[in-house]
Amino acid sequence: MSDYLSIFEYQFFRNAVLAAILISVFAAMVGTYIVSRKIVFIGGGITHASFGGIGIAYYFGANPFAGAAIFAILTALGIEWIAQKGKVREDSAIAILWSLGMAMGIIFVFMTPGYTPNLMSFLFGSILSVSTTDLYVLAGFGLLVGIIYAIFFRPILYTAFDPEFAQVMGVRVAIFRYMMSVLMAMAIVISIRSIGIILVLSIFTIPQITAMLFTRNFARIIPLAALWGITGSVTGLILSYLLDIPSGASIIFFLTIQFLILKLFFVIKQKIATRSAKV
Amino acid sequence: MSKPIVILENIYTGYGTKPVLEKVNLRIEANDFIGVLGPNGGGKTTLMKLILGLLNPYSGKVSFPSGRPPTGYLPQVSQIDKSFPITVKELVSSGIKDKNPWFPHLGTSQRKRLQHILDEAGLTKLASRPIGELSGGQLQKALLSRALINKPRLLILDEPNTHVDKQFESDLYKWLKELNKEMAILLVSHDIGTITPIVKTIACVNGTLHYHPSNQLSEEVLRVYNCPVDVIAHGPIPHRVLKSHEHDNQ
Repeated sequence: MSDYLSIFEYQFFRNAVLAAILISVFAAMVGTYIVSRKIVFIGGGITHASFGGIGIAYYFGANPFAGAAIFAILTALGIEWIAQKGKVREDSAIAILWSLGMAMGIIFVFMTPGYTPNLMSFLFGSILSVSTTDLYVLAGFGLLVGIIYAIFFRPILYTAFDPEFAQVMGVRVAIFRYMMSVLMAMAIVISIRSIGIILVLSIFTIPQITAMLFTRNFARIIPLAALWGITGSVTGLILSYLLDIPSGASIIFFLTIQFLILKLFFVIKQKIATRSAKV
Repeated sequence: MSKPIVILENIYTGYGTKPVLEKVNLRIEANDFIGVLGPNGGGKTTLMKLILGLLNPYSGKVSFPSGRPPTGYLPQVSQIDKSFPITVKELVSSGIKDKNPWFPHLGTSQRKRLQHILDEAGLTKLASRPIGELSGGQLQKALLSRALINKPRLLILDEPNTHVDKQFESDLYKWLKELNKEMAILLVSHDIGTITPIVKTIACVNGTLHYHPSNQLSEEVLRVYNCPVDVIAHGPIPHRVLKSHEHDNQ
């Protein structure tokens, strides 16, 4: 037990826990939109396409995160534009951007002379090396998402649910869809630093589907998803230290275990309820 | 003749380069109850989208002599994602047109209106339920409440009689007859048998639009205008489809 607590004496671990909490909070808001609209595949496209930006930035000696952000936002806007114009099959377009981004990333990283530091950390994340500045960025972005949701909650919900009807009601559907695409891209890129390209989508989906076991009310899913995101990721972090396993993978693993346990609980509860109803 | 609220003049429209409707003319007056009939793919939904402003004409003119009337819209139920996490209350609230579309919120009078419409539709007890838990009829009631909450002067319904039982259907038609005293109704259906007894006039849509200023269609009219619709009457509803009438070439 003393082992369990002593880890909190380290600044790097406290930073990691704070990062996990902050990411869980804004991922709860953005992820509920993603899961409700069933656009997880778009999230995957944005995430992987951003690797192209990382590769190009490495090659030119620029900040890899700026590269990732530019690629992610352009991909998100591109997918939304294709969806609204409907000229190309949306799922195929996503797959193309997804793999094109990865391919460009690999090519440019390959062409970059010398050693490319931290490449693995982009793929798998490095939450244990989160700096205080990173925490300010996470907190600032969380605040921005919170304010946007507080002001525009109803148009965001209505455009996500039934865009055609929302448009009839005078909501600027196209603008809100583009805005949410940009928000999604930014949320993903900001989380990549901690959780990595390969694992980042899970923090935008697993806590949300866990929350949806309890409620099917959009507004209530958000705080519940934040809660399950925090419990899952903080427990995953502590376990990663105790078991000496990679932290990003441990977080995702524990988020999934948490979901499965709760799901099982609901299935058993349901079975008991049907059985007693029969008797 | 009262003043029309919507006028379509010589409309050509479609999606991208694919034309769907041509030479469409229609006047909708305050207390009209128009049944829009026609085969699938004939352009019924396109006509609605045009009137709702979701689609622009290639040429021709859509005009509203006294300004765009408050419009209620009930889309086809297949267009609704039933697994979306939204409650009945939120669904119905989404029909409230706010003066400020950027910062919409529910004021006291809007909350009252919401309560009133939920009571009227018998949905009060279901208000906090997610829409995924509703039956077909309950979902239609919720969608119709969403269309009505804004007190529309034009109500557009796209196939409201799908996935509902006969009892709900006949209740719905009674409700629509009542509503028609306060608003014009455009009822889209591919099922001529059930709607002709309740509508006042009929618009046949199949690539173009033929208007019949009565709710009775002759066999000849159906054939001439290539309006191949389901002419089998359903259940106890009186079947007047094939009764002949003078055709007014309007």
